[in-house]
Amino acid sequence: MPAVIELSGITKRFPGVVANDNVNLTVESGEIHAICGENGAGKSTLMKILYGMQRADEGTMKVDGNIVTFGSPTDAIEAGIGMVHQHFMLADQLTVLENVVLGAEPVRAGGAINFKEAKAHLSEVGADYGLTIDPDDMVETLEVGERQRVEIIKVLYRGARILILDEPTAVLVPQEVEALFDNMRELKAGGATILFIDHKLDEVLEISDSITVLRQGKTVATLKNDGVTAHDLAELMVGSELPTPETAESTVTDKVALSLRDVTVVDDDGRSLIEDINLTIHKGEILGIAGVEGNGQAELVDAIVGTATVRRGSVELLGTDITSMSVRKRREAGIGYVPEDRHHEGLMLQAPLWENAALGHQTQEPYGSRWFMNRNGARAQTELIREQFDVRTPNIDVAAHALSGGNQQKLIIGRELTSNPSLLLAAHPTRGIDVGAQAAVWDQIRSARAAGLATLLISADLDELIGLSDTIVVMLRGRMVARLSPNEVTPRDLGAYMTGAASQNSDGHSSPDSNSSTDSANEVTY
Amino acid sequence: MGVLKRLHDLPAWARWPLYALLGILLLTIVQSISGTERLTQVSTSREMLRWAVPIFLAGLGGLFSERAGVVNIGLEGMLILGMWFGAWGSIEYGPWWGLVIGMIGGGLGGLLHAIATVSFQVDHIISGVAINILAPAITRYLSDEIWASPTTSPRTTSVGDWDVPFLAGGTIFGWESPDVLLDIGKAEWWYVSDVANLARGLLRGTHWVAIAALVLVPVTTWIIWRTRFGLRLRIAGENPAAGEAQGINIARYKYVAVTISGALAGLGGAFISTELSGLFQGGNSAGRGFIGLAALIFGNWRPGGVLAGALLFGYVFGLDLKDLDGTASHALLLVNTIVFGAVLVWAISKRRLTDAVLAGVLGSGAFIWWLSVDSVPSWWSNILPFVLVLLVLLFFSQRLRMPAKLGEPYRKGS
Repeated sequence: MPAVIELSGITKRFPGVVANDNVNLTVESGEIHAICGENGAGKSTLMKILYGMQRADEGTMKVDGNIVTFGSPTDAIEAGIGMVHQHFMLADQLTVLENVVLGAEPVRAGGAINFKEAKAHLSEVGADYGLTIDPDDMVETLEVGERQRVEIIKVLYRGARILILDEPTAVLVPQEVEALFDNMRELKAGGATILFIDHKLDEVLEISDSITVLRQGKTVATLKNDGVTAHDLAELMVGSELPTPETAESTVTDKVALSLRDVTVVDDDGRSLIEDINLTIHKGEILGIAGVEGNGQAELVDAIVGTATVRRGSVELLGTDITSMSVRKRREAGIGYVPEDRHHEGLMLQAPLWENAALGHQTQEPYGSRWFMNRNGARAQTELIREQFDVRTPNIDVAAHALSGGNQQKLIIGRELTSNPSLLLAAHPTRGIDVGAQAAVWDQIRSARAAGLATLLISADLDELIGLSDTIVVMLRGRMVARLSPNEVTPRDLGAYMTGAASQNSDGHSSPDSNSSTDSANEVTY
Repeated sequence: MGVLKRLHDLPAWARWPLYALLGILLLTIVQSISGTERLTQVSTSREMLRWAVPIFLAGLGGLFSERAGVVNIGLEGMLILGMWFGAWGSIEYGPWWGLVIGMIGGGLGGLLHAIATVSFQVDHIISGVAINILAPAITRYLSDEIWASPTTSPRTTSVGDWDVPFLAGGTIFGWESPDVLLDIGKAEWWYVSDVANLARGLLRGTHWVAIAALVLVPVTTWIIWRTRFGLRLRIAGENPAAGEAQGINIARYKYVAVTISGALAGLGGAFISTELSGLFQGGNSAGRGFIGLAALIFGNWRPGGVLAGALLFGYVFGLDLKDLDGTASHALLLVNTIVFGAVLVWAISKRRLTDAVLAGVLGSGAFIWWLSVDSVPSWWSNILPFVLVLLVLLFFSQRLRMPAKLGEPYRKGS
């Protein structure tokens, strides 16, 4: 029996980079096959080639032993390959059923969709692979894990037997990951072959039958998952010593930098987005906020930086009440802000780097004064940031969109840290950047902490939170539900609090529920 | 409040007539206070319908375009193109062809908008405004070339109208049926006669185009929510990238949708020139394309809602037309007061303080105005539809659900 998928000698070049360099990949029928590698190792490109979104410059692809060439995803779908993208391709205001049938609608004469037949087919597919979902739910009402299930069903509905999952666990909390893995096992039992991209090694080891490691566009190894350790894989991936987000000894002082008292923010309908938040960050302390996205973290940041109105309670920076100050006054008072979405709030993509460096500090030296920009001062400061923070760019006049995500992020971190803030709000500071830039960002946050900076860190990467924070606070539905010490907590414990599976009474001395204690594979997880 | 909740659970076909009956009850009550009779006359609802049909058709056109993600502020221009081509077609080939050619004329305007916005990614508003400027200029030029008069055409012919038998005295095979609504209206029963009068204005001398427009409500609902075409059209407005990933040619659906949009606005325009005015005359569109867009927003991008918005706006304009001394519009101020009062109660029950204050201020403002004068100037009823839309946005914008990617330039593969 031939391998389900056999790629040999795949090479793909982009201007200036070789994304895939003579990559070979063999996937056996009915197995779960993981593709590991750092960001930029060429995993996504390889999957895009396999799914017909891009064409390989060289090499051959075989599906079920037959040579194929895909001009578009439609060809790949016809060959039985389906892909679940990391960023879901769903329309919120359509029902599950509408999203699933889209593009493959069974129609009656006259063009009306035969919803009855579609529903029957959907529940048939669901039954075959052990996936359940209510077809009439609006997608906007679904949780992240459910949306992912819709995406998987969408692919199966089209008759795919080979599934490509692109970093399926990146958006999930640990409990949802478990559910996904159960689903994957069901799929395998139903006869499907699964290819998935992941760089969290404990997950890879838990679920996969075989593992292919890519590094810098090349296949490093394909292994059977027996006796392989996370450490082996990590070394194959990185090819050298591994960076970690751990901080050294505590630098927490007893000087309060930020204190929030009973802070409540409400939406337009008067419902609480965050309620009665009390927290204190000392100089030299990193306070990590854990939580599934949408549980009030963004509103908390908004309340501190001043983009949301505080309905009740007070915000104090270095003993000064800033609750009703404008955003600019707060920034001038010493709040540094690394926004969650750097393209949306962090940068002007079309503007040159030196203008971007001045953003948020445009009224302060050396960038400018109350009314005017100081061109020379701003440029000199940008050069400084470029040097100190290793922003890789030909010069400071290129537009921000020309930089890679990691370099954009380094510019933002640099502009915030060089302005000598007393408080740094860092929302997902390493999201979507590669391992090298990630380590650099960690280093910079650590050294600013050593110099006495108070930091509020929000991150979906639980290892990052545990590694960097001095204290971790968990938010659920707009409230603080737990305060934990990073030395005593595992990602799994955090996940339990984040989803509400575990809880802590307000004095902070209860532990998560029983099944979530020992998980040693978390030491090396990127 | 419990009653309202139960109303809300009724199916749409029962709910909307009930709302209408409640609205008429409000008008009856106001009339008995303020002494005017125009609010519920036969001629008032007839004028309402005449205004509402082009507004509705333009709004429905907007629905096709905007459900596919393309903002269509060029509806006014497309309506004007429909007016001219409708008149020309009617003069050259007869009234039915006039309507068809009017649709083609408007559709060409829509196609132009599609080319600009979909193929060249021009900003939707800019392209729409350009069409609004272009259309009057083109029609003026064409009029001058063909009819040797830049502003008016010769008389056109109409496809005519129809009296509903039994209710409004229509004839069946030459036999004149009784005119029940006329009799009830004449009886001057409190409220009942008002309902009869308003209904008779809709059912007697009903234009065929108006009937077609009414049929378009369920037809559009079916197309948009039940067919493959509709689903794919909606994905173009909600998440084009998701549609593209499933091999759907998003650009094609946008093209078709925007062209249909223009054709419907064109039908509205042809209705104005051939059925209402009896000739093409520059400026006769009276902004009804824009008001159609307002009806679209008011109606929450749904066909039934667009119809409700068009009738409401049509009522205000139609009333103004017959209201030379301004007393009926004056009475409308009292209606406004009561409606704001209701919004106030609603806002308080929902604990929405800002809304409550706003409704209180606006309601008492309307009330004071009503007390202090005997008639209102006509500019008031001209701007009232737009004021209504602003108010709907102000109070209910949370409930409005526009297509998620409305107005965003779409590029293949991004």
